[in-house]
Amino acid sequence: MATFRLQGSKVLAVEMTGDAVRAKNGSMVAYDGQMAFKKMSGGGEGIRGMVTRRLTGEQMTMMEVKGQGTCYFADRASEINLVQLHGDKLYVESSNLLCTDGGLRTGTTFTGLRGGASGNGLFTTTVEGTGQAAITSDGTAVVLRVTPQYPLSVDPGAYIAHQGNLRQDFQSGVTFRTFLGEGGGEAFQIRFEGDGLVYVQPSERNTVGGDV
Amino acid sequence: MSTPLVFDPTTLPSDDNVNAYTFCVELKGSQWFLQKGKMIAYYGRIDFNGIGHGRLDRLLRTSFHSPLHASDWVVAEGSGKMLLADRAFDVNSFDLDDGNLTIRAGNLLAYQPTLALKQSIVPGFLTLIGTGKFVAASNGPVVFMEPPVRVDPQALVGWADCPSPCHHYDHGYMTGVMGGVRALTGIGGASGEEHQFEFVGAGTVLLQSSEVLMPEQATGVVGSEPGVPSGHAPAGGPGQHGSAPRLPGQLGDLQRRFGL
Repeated sequence: MATFRLQGSKVLAVEMTGDAVRAKNGSMVAYDGQMAFKKMSGGGEGIRGMVTRRLTGEQMTMMEVKGQGTCYFADRASEINLVQLHGDKLYVESSNLLCTDGGLRTGTTFTGLRGGASGNGLFTTTVEGTGQAAITSDGTAVVLRVTPQYPLSVDPGAYIAHQGNLRQDFQSGVTFRTFLGEGGGEAFQIRFEGDGLVYVQPSERNTVGGDV
Repeated sequence: MSTPLVFDPTTLPSDDNVNAYTFCVELKGSQWFLQKGKMIAYYGRIDFNGIGHGRLDRLLRTSFHSPLHASDWVVAEGSGKMLLADRAFDVNSFDLDDGNLTIRAGNLLAYQPTLALKQSIVPGFLTLIGTGKFVAASNGPVVFMEPPVRVDPQALVGWADCPSPCHHYDHGYMTGVMGGVRALTGIGGASGEEHQFEFVGAGTVLLQSSEVLMPEQATGVVGSEPGVPSGHAPAGGPGQHGSAPRLPGQLGDLQRRFGL
């Protein structure tokens, strides 16, 4: 299995011994050893995955990197976070997924209204299996634990990923005041309940409900 | 592989930085003012209300004196811990002890209501007066300087204890026809550093370590009244490029210099 480690906080180094990883297309910055790069149509999820991604708009172009040696990945100098999966599922915005172990399965899932408000479409990417994945964030991400007694509310623009057994609710604080221009500025939130981890970045994407 | 730090409400710091870019505020039935849209996540029960909310009237009377950009601010109220961040800029908290500090409007993220926020006479800046904590964002860590000092307009974050802020133009820039031509056309080269802010007097000047400006928060138009410096709002103010960026030494400046 390929081993992931961080070289600084913005470069991911993956050591491979003949195995493969999947990475965002064009994110390789350097390698030593022997590497082969192959673009994967539809994120390597087969014809069905390809069609689903096309339909859902949750598009990502991935490449398969296979070989011996060390390969370095980076994406627009954004911070990289490593996630260890033990048979559980990671939900991540496709734009934040940098690299996954070859043994992990990726797919798409419906997220409901939440996605609509975060400006990332109604669907999100899932990563499943056992192995490591790397996700990017604008600024150092904060990992927050959610337990049944501590639910968490997150700004849709700052959300990047979550893992574990979490239920998400879309919360709207829109009142008549919002329409008078006197809103609380945080009209839309995603509320996470259950057991798991939520990754939040210290920066907000432009969202539909951004300034309401 | 380094396992990432996982935070929960018991391990999150109280009124301190989580990392360089994220600040955690603990609310225990208390209130904080924050700029709209800077909350990224929270635990607990926290309400966010616009400044116009009726119940907040008394609070506003004591700690919010800047009606001109009231719509940019909200009051967070309740109990729990909330995380603040701003476009992955560095955030820092500062304590004021019966003091005063003037800061660029776009850099201020949040403050305790024990402080009073007022609009500075200098357009585009806000002044905090009193005792309490506030959170400010900057591009790169903040550097503290003692006056007398001349600073680049884009690197200025704010100043405390009121040294006197004024404009400074390099002298050679204004003398002679050649100086004018050089400034106007760039022939002969302009260093881009001909205009600075100068601070003299006792106090502290805060600088950020880059020249990237925070996207401007409009501070509103000051009512035109004799004797009140006008802010050319919404994007006015020294060193801030509004919709039409104007380099120092363009015709507008020259005209003024020649008294036209």
